[in-house]
Amino acid sequence: MRFGALVKRDVLVSWRKKSNIYQPLVFQLLIVTMFPLGLGAGAQTLAKIAPAVVWILALLSTLITLENIFKDDYEDGSLDVYVLSGMSLPLAAFSKATAHWLTTGIPVMLFAPVIGVLMHLPEQSYGVLLLSLLLATPIFSLLGTVGSALIVNIKNGGMLLSVLIMPLLSPVLIFGAGAVLETTLGNSALGHLLLLLGCAVLALTLAPLAAAAAIKVNLE
Amino acid sequence: MDAGQLAVIAGPNGSGKTTLLQALSGLSLLASGSRIYQGSSELSLWLKESHYLGHKLGNKGNLSCFENLQFVAQVNETSVTSSAISAVLEKAGLAGYEYQHANDLSAGQKKRLALSRLLLLNKIYWLLDEPFVNLDYAGCDWLYEIIEKHISQGGSVILTAHDQKKIHELAHHHITLEFPEEVHES
Amino acid sequence: MNRLLKFYHELGSPPSFYRITSHWLKPMLILAIIFTLYGLIDGLFFAPEDYQQGDSYRIIFVHVPAAWMSMFIYAIVGISGIMAFVWRMKVAEAVMMASVPIGAIFTTITLLTGMLWGKPMWGTYWDWDARMTSELILLFLYIGVMGIYSAYDEDPRKAARLAALVAIIGLINLPIIRYSVYWWTSIHQGSSVSLMGESGIKDWAMLRPLLVMALATKFYYIHSMLCRAQSHLLKTEQDKNWVKLALTGERKDKTQGGNL
Repeated sequence: MRFGALVKRDVLVSWRKKSNIYQPLVFQLLIVTMFPLGLGAGAQTLAKIAPAVVWILALLSTLITLENIFKDDYEDGSLDVYVLSGMSLPLAAFSKATAHWLTTGIPVMLFAPVIGVLMHLPEQSYGVLLLSLLLATPIFSLLGTVGSALIVNIKNGGMLLSVLIMPLLSPVLIFGAGAVLETTLGNSALGHLLLLLGCAVLALTLAPLAAAAAIKVNLE
Repeated sequence: MDAGQLAVIAGPNGSGKTTLLQALSGLSLLASGSRIYQGSSELSLWLKESHYLGHKLGNKGNLSCFENLQFVAQVNETSVTSSAISAVLEKAGLAGYEYQHANDLSAGQKKRLALSRLLLLNKIYWLLDEPFVNLDYAGCDWLYEIIEKHISQGGSVILTAHDQKKIHELAHHHITLEFPEEVHES
Repeated sequence: MNRLLKFYHELGSPPSFYRITSHWLKPMLILAIIFTLYGLIDGLFFAPEDYQQGDSYRIIFVHVPAAWMSMFIYAIVGISGIMAFVWRMKVAEAVMMASVPIGAIFTTITLLTGMLWGKPMWGTYWDWDARMTSELILLFLYIGVMGIYSAYDEDPRKAARLAALVAIIGLINLPIIRYSVYWWTSIHQGSSVSLMGESGIKDWAMLRPLLVMALATKFYYIHSMLCRAQSHLLKTEQDKNWVKLALTGERKDKTQGGNL
């Protein structure tokens, strides 16, 4: 019930403030336009780097949204409200991650094929692209709660957040972009996807605990 | 502190009023959990019976008053009907503002919305940091009234206040913090 | 066993940590200098030439010990981070924060010497091979711990606890990162160049300076870490009585003053 209440509230807040939802997508469009401009518009050139570009854009566009997961609540005091309600902190962190995934992860995942088309990603890769992002976007959100909890009362903590989160996300990028790359070469991506699944399970178990620990220290 | 009592913490700026209240609320001690309430250091028991309202009001700006209170009730696992929420808002002088976003309220109304959580949740201990700030005369009177009522019903209130004679008349305990002796919670 | 336990407890309190380790600073520094001189002279002049790489392989006497230290120190950062976070030990906080910059420096040295070695060997300064890539990511982890610590400069204890948390998260992730990076290179670059060569070093005359340098870096680390940890404790405990006593006592006893 507490989980549902917090998720529902966060989704509602994001829904009212639509920029939360469309900003990452606009960011992806802007950046993807830079690639043909800088690289030349040859379909083959673009297709070659398409798996990496689609994946990195999904990653970066999510990254810019992570800072606010806890920060808004910290600043307006509503963090105190649910922390002092007796709700367990890992559950609170998990709820925040769920809401973030619903409002950012899913749109980013669904938008990735559009970027794929613009980058001439081969047709056979779209299924695995969606599947890999379905496994990876929850990891982004979960690790995002950890990063956001760490920097909750730092001004301009966005850069620091990137430094903290990027090394942790590098395995996810390797497995995820690797999965899409394998399909462009006509290979099976099963191994990559299973490793990605492993990362997701690990993030699901550990990230809420880490985020809760960081929130505790920050509220002290 | 016994049931049905009011304690007022006074003291100059920087004397540690907020720190003391935060320590009492459980915010500062979440990690160590070394508070004793009813002979138990279990924090959750204390959280179940106390409500803290700090300088940051905790309203979500783009949710309506109704939605704000609904969330607070749900996250505290208090089941209330929507008519009960409307009744609380009415008592807080926010009748007709149910569907107004908290951002669009005046500063005093925001404070009222935050204070109305107290009426909604029915907790025994109220910990209020400067509750009179931003309230108009009518608002202050309303707050005296609900504090008085809460005490008469066996609740306890700990609050900080600068310059409120009336609340001091009501108080059972006066805690004055003097400047050099900052409150060190340990 | 009891004496060991007592010693451990004594090290946990800042004043006795300060007192005990003050005696270690000088010997460690002297050992570090002697071992470095011996290792470098032995490695640069007496160790035989490599039959494939000629003289340019001699950079391993710096590169490899630095690489070992970069990981060894992260392990220490992680472990002292756990102690700092779980038991809130001030000494563990000091050891952790003192180790981080040293580890970052060793990581940087590893990367730079690796690049210098790469030019004559591979014809390029940088190659995204598994070792160099994971070493670079290790540097990011160090930077993250330092970054979060310096961001909370108004409250050093909170900063240290958050930095400890970041270090612990890094420690958990480090094996995953390394595994994934090695796996990634095995897929994308079948013929990754190995700096050590397939055979490894078998000649004792080559191994000897390497081991001596490995010891030298350990001694240097202990010395440098203790200096930093001591000044960290002096700074964070500056209101305490023992700090005053330690500092005024030191002025009388000039032999200690130079180490701070």
